[in-house]
Amino acid sequence: MNLKKYLVRALHRLQKGPGYTYKELLVWYCDNTNTHGPKRIIKEGPKKKLIWFFLTLLFASLVFWQWGILINTYLSYNVTSSLSIGFKTMKFPAVTVCNANPFKYSEVKPLLKELDRLIEAALERILQPTPGNSSQDVSPPLNLELWNQIPLVLIDEHDKDNPVILDIFETNQTARDNDTAVGNETSVSTLPALCPQCSHQGSANCTYRNFTSAAQAVTEWYILQSTSILSRVPLHERIRMGYQAEDMILACLYGAEPCNYKNFTQIYHPDHGNCYIFNWGMDEEALNSSNPGAEFGLKLILDISQQDYIPYLSSAAGARLMLHQQKSFPFLKDQGIYAMAGTETSIGVLVDELERMGYPYSDCTMNGSDIPVKNLYSQYNTSYSIQACLRSCFQNHMAEICGCGHYMFPLPAGVNYCNNEDNPGWAYCYSSLRSSIKQRQICIDSCKETCNDTQYKMTISMADWPSEASEDWIFHILSYERDMSTNVTLDRNGIIKLNIYFQEYNYRTISESAATTIVWLLSSLGGQFGFWMGGSVLCLIEFGEIIIDSLWITIINVISWCKGLKQRRARARYPDAPPTVSELVEAHTNLGFQDEAGGALPRAGALPPEPGTPPPNYDSLRVQPPEALGADSDGD
Amino acid sequence: MRWYYLNTNTHGCRRIVVSRGRLRRLLWILLTLSAVGLILWQCAELLMNYYSASVSVTVQFQKLPFPAVTICNINPYKYSAMKEYLSELDKETKKALETFYGFSEGKSKVRRSVDEWNSTGSDFFQQIPLLKVEDFSRTATDLHSGQKRKIEGSVFHKDSSIVNSGDSNDIIGFQLCDANNSSECALYTFSSGVNAIQEWYKLHYMNIMAQIPLETKEKLSYSADDLLLTCFFDGLSCDKRHFTRFHHPLHGNCYTFNSGENGSVLSTSTGGSEYGLQVVLYIDEADYNPFLVTSTGAKIIVHDQDEYPFIEDIGTEIETAAATSIGMHFTRSRKLSKPYSDCTETGADIPVENLYNKSYSLQICLHSCFQKAMVDSCGCAQYAQPLPAGAEYCNYKKNPNWMYCYYRLHEKFVKEQLGCQQICKDACSFKEWALTTSIAQWPSAVSEDWMLRVLSWDKGQKLNKKLNKTDLANLMVFYKDLNERFISENPANTLVILLSNFGGQLGLWMSCSVVCVIEIVEVFLIDSLSIVLRRQCQRASKWWHGRRGGAAKAPPAGDVEGQGHANPACLDEDLPTFTTALRLPLPQDSPLPRTPPPNYSTLRLEAAFTEQLPDTLELGRH
Repeated sequence: MNLKKYLVRALHRLQKGPGYTYKELLVWYCDNTNTHGPKRIIKEGPKKKLIWFFLTLLFASLVFWQWGILINTYLSYNVTSSLSIGFKTMKFPAVTVCNANPFKYSEVKPLLKELDRLIEAALERILQPTPGNSSQDVSPPLNLELWNQIPLVLIDEHDKDNPVILDIFETNQTARDNDTAVGNETSVSTLPALCPQCSHQGSANCTYRNFTSAAQAVTEWYILQSTSILSRVPLHERIRMGYQAEDMILACLYGAEPCNYKNFTQIYHPDHGNCYIFNWGMDEEALNSSNPGAEFGLKLILDISQQDYIPYLSSAAGARLMLHQQKSFPFLKDQGIYAMAGTETSIGVLVDELERMGYPYSDCTMNGSDIPVKNLYSQYNTSYSIQACLRSCFQNHMAEICGCGHYMFPLPAGVNYCNNEDNPGWAYCYSSLRSSIKQRQICIDSCKETCNDTQYKMTISMADWPSEASEDWIFHILSYERDMSTNVTLDRNGIIKLNIYFQEYNYRTISESAATTIVWLLSSLGGQFGFWMGGSVLCLIEFGEIIIDSLWITIINVISWCKGLKQRRARARYPDAPPTVSELVEAHTNLGFQDEAGGALPRAGALPPEPGTPPPNYDSLRVQPPEALGADSDGD
Repeated sequence: MRWYYLNTNTHGCRRIVVSRGRLRRLLWILLTLSAVGLILWQCAELLMNYYSASVSVTVQFQKLPFPAVTICNINPYKYSAMKEYLSELDKETKKALETFYGFSEGKSKVRRSVDEWNSTGSDFFQQIPLLKVEDFSRTATDLHSGQKRKIEGSVFHKDSSIVNSGDSNDIIGFQLCDANNSSECALYTFSSGVNAIQEWYKLHYMNIMAQIPLETKEKLSYSADDLLLTCFFDGLSCDKRHFTRFHHPLHGNCYTFNSGENGSVLSTSTGGSEYGLQVVLYIDEADYNPFLVTSTGAKIIVHDQDEYPFIEDIGTEIETAAATSIGMHFTRSRKLSKPYSDCTETGADIPVENLYNKSYSLQICLHSCFQKAMVDSCGCAQYAQPLPAGAEYCNYKKNPNWMYCYYRLHEKFVKEQLGCQQICKDACSFKEWALTTSIAQWPSAVSEDWMLRVLSWDKGQKLNKKLNKTDLANLMVFYKDLNERFISENPANTLVILLSNFGGQLGLWMSCSVVCVIEIVEVFLIDSLSIVLRRQCQRASKWWHGRRGGAAKAPPAGDVEGQGHANPACLDEDLPTFTTALRLPLPQDSPLPRTPPPNYSTLRLEAAFTEQLPDTLELGRH
């Protein structure tokens, strides 16, 4: 019933408004629409009509073309950036300070004794290559077990094709067999001198790693050996061997408030031993700084006790420090800076923030939860960062391929650190993994940067400290405070002053916002439509309406055509038979259909004046015919 | 007109005609006019802002190309090798030091050298002697003759005028004269003898160097083996083959790491100090030129492979006996060129020839521009910049007055009178490596001993003395992170958006579109023009007719009116004002034939109007 009612109503509308034929419909539409072009078409003279027709077509196609462009622009998710610079009260950055040297030499000496004797002897041999010269005073026999795992060799390359390998502790010279020397053998050194090389013995294949400088070779060799030794030492022991907070941090002042080593959080960093973080924000609220200038920043005096450095491990002396965000892990090798002993280093800080919108605007991650790499640094309770991801990725690969974890990175569950005894081939495995471009690319591809990127731009300046005039009393007081002794136990080589403060403009924020929002899209679409054709959404609805109407007309036409066909067939069958009563009745009541079935459009032209009669046009009069039609169409 | 107002799509116009009452109509006229004004204003505003750019910042984490790193010793040439060229100049300088300041290192030695000088008697230095000026009397004491003489010409203070030169009665300076016209001289004075002597020394030094051919100079300077002790990149050893020599006129031989000369550029896929470039430099402090350079160390510059390293302008100095760690952060920027901003993409549109064999930069343009001006006005090229084709470096023998010319020109250049600053434009895209430099002590106290021994061994047997730590500098250059910031300007508006905005404005104030504009053009220009033309035609023909049948002068007036009636639009020949339009005789019949037949609504509207019309007509007459 509902359907029927609807149909009836629709037909009424057709009758009243657009009429029964396509042409009527079009004319009616053109006349009544709010879109500007079509109206002109019918209002103008015949010549202009044509012009207007083409103009309208042109504009319509323009509109659609531009709409396409706009939608495309919207779907490309562009962003605009806005920049703001100024001073505001901000969280003071977390400050990590470490000693460049990881352990006190006095503490680790027993562990590294063998190694040091080895390297000293090796250096002797290298520097005085004539054998027998220094062999007289080698009193205790050297433990060559360490040596044999990764020996240092010299390669004589006077003869390009047959380089001669000289093992330092064995006098026999072995010509290198080209078949066994596999790997990155790229030594084309033109140096006439001998070339010291470091070789890693894997199970079967042996790779010589070339160095152009003995200093590098010795340092690399020492680092490999010492990591292997130290990785067997338990963590608490390693922490004990490092520098303690009370020894290292001699004085601390934040703004006007005194602070001491207890305000620092201890963290064990594989590169630098014990590191201390000020204002990390793990346990308590992060400190704010609301004033620019050195007076309101952090002032530190550190003692790095340079005499206690491990001689072969770290050749640069100083403190290593880094500014980073609260609750993030300090990656000192990447972002850290040095502070030189015997100087006052002033660091003005500008916080450079980049706030980005996540997917789909830019390819970044909000908190790292959608990254397929397991973050090993989460055991420090720190937030995600790209450095953490890259290192975790490397360590995971290492654990997978070499079967053990590298000493510099945190361990995945169920894996131990590599050492020479348990994993004899680890050094080779590590070197090949480290230099493999493929592995790096995998990690780069799987890690994403964070959306909110904060960098601390530092303006670093240095001056000598303490001055000659003040040297005496400063050393005196600091020694007294540290050791409760009256003798001076500090010297210029071990003492560092640091000032860290906000600059006059302490932030520069670049924030992204979507360049194209849905509002923008709609207003641009509307603007285009309006500009060319003066149209709006209502016009689109009108157009839709007309399409529905034309559909109706089609249906009506089809029905009447079918009916006509039926009748004709009936007539063909009984050419002389008189029409039945019902047929007669129908034919009588449903004038419109017969008209159209006959395809008599000119007659349709005669019909419209009826709907065109003045406004008070009640439907009641014309209810009857459509109803009959409705019944008919149902019947069909 | 009426027809237009009624049928137009713009809302305001229709209102004017349709609304009743004088006040209301006036109101509508005002509103329509103000809406038109607003549209024009806003559209003008939109047009003016069309060429504005919005900035976008993207951060990309990726494998980054390692930049080229150029390293120079601060001292350009080995002093020991330069002795034969510079001995006379040095003697002269020492003598000057002695006579003006009473400074001498071993009196007897200097005296002897003075005697020697007297015997050689080079007129070379005599032309530009150092002078001690007594400011008040404006007399100068010559270094050699000791005689006083009056200074002619103008006095230039090379130092800033802030220094009160009145109280110091002995200012050191030198005088430059135009060789052709000796009366035209310029005196350059300095408040401090240190500056004066260095500047004076440099002047003569450039003179001498300009005469030495390039190959000799390259030999006189440091070789790669001299400068580089060890090299380590991305965890692997590297050596001098990774460095390209580049001869800088003021800094001697410089070495560029990763210059991309063999076609491949190294890249880093891991940040951090271990994976960057680590070099130990040998700075032979004992072989420094005492007058030319007064500081010790090396200079480095981080630049793009196809950029020219302006080491004298933007180099970073490296201290000896220290490890300098330089963390880099990479930023790439791109500006939009014309018409958004005044920058150049390739430099091809700049009328200054690029003398450097590198890609365009502002600095290159300025230097080239200056060099060109120098060649044009002085006839020879300045030593510190590359040679233009067909020119040669200035030296005293060939161009005796080039110094005077140079100083004059340089002053003009600094004061922007040469026009170089106006001609040269920024480059549109540039790469920038922001450096964070920090210094640590190196080698540390405990590792110093073995480090120096091994490095001495590295250096080779030819150097049998043990290295001193003040001869060494450790340098680390690495990426802090592999984030590349790309700052680019994008056009804030495209044509599509501009049109959208126009459409929005037109629609908002008038509900108008391009169709309306065409209508307006149609009605006000084409139609009225044709009407006017027809009118003129008629007039002309009438006048013609009138002349012909001179006696029969009865018909005209009535005829015109009759025609006007027949063709109502004909009447508004001049500006089609609103009232004239209304005063037209009612076009009762004319609209019908014009509009297409089955036009019911218009018919009805027309009908409605005929009823209203008497009203409006009355109003019009009031």
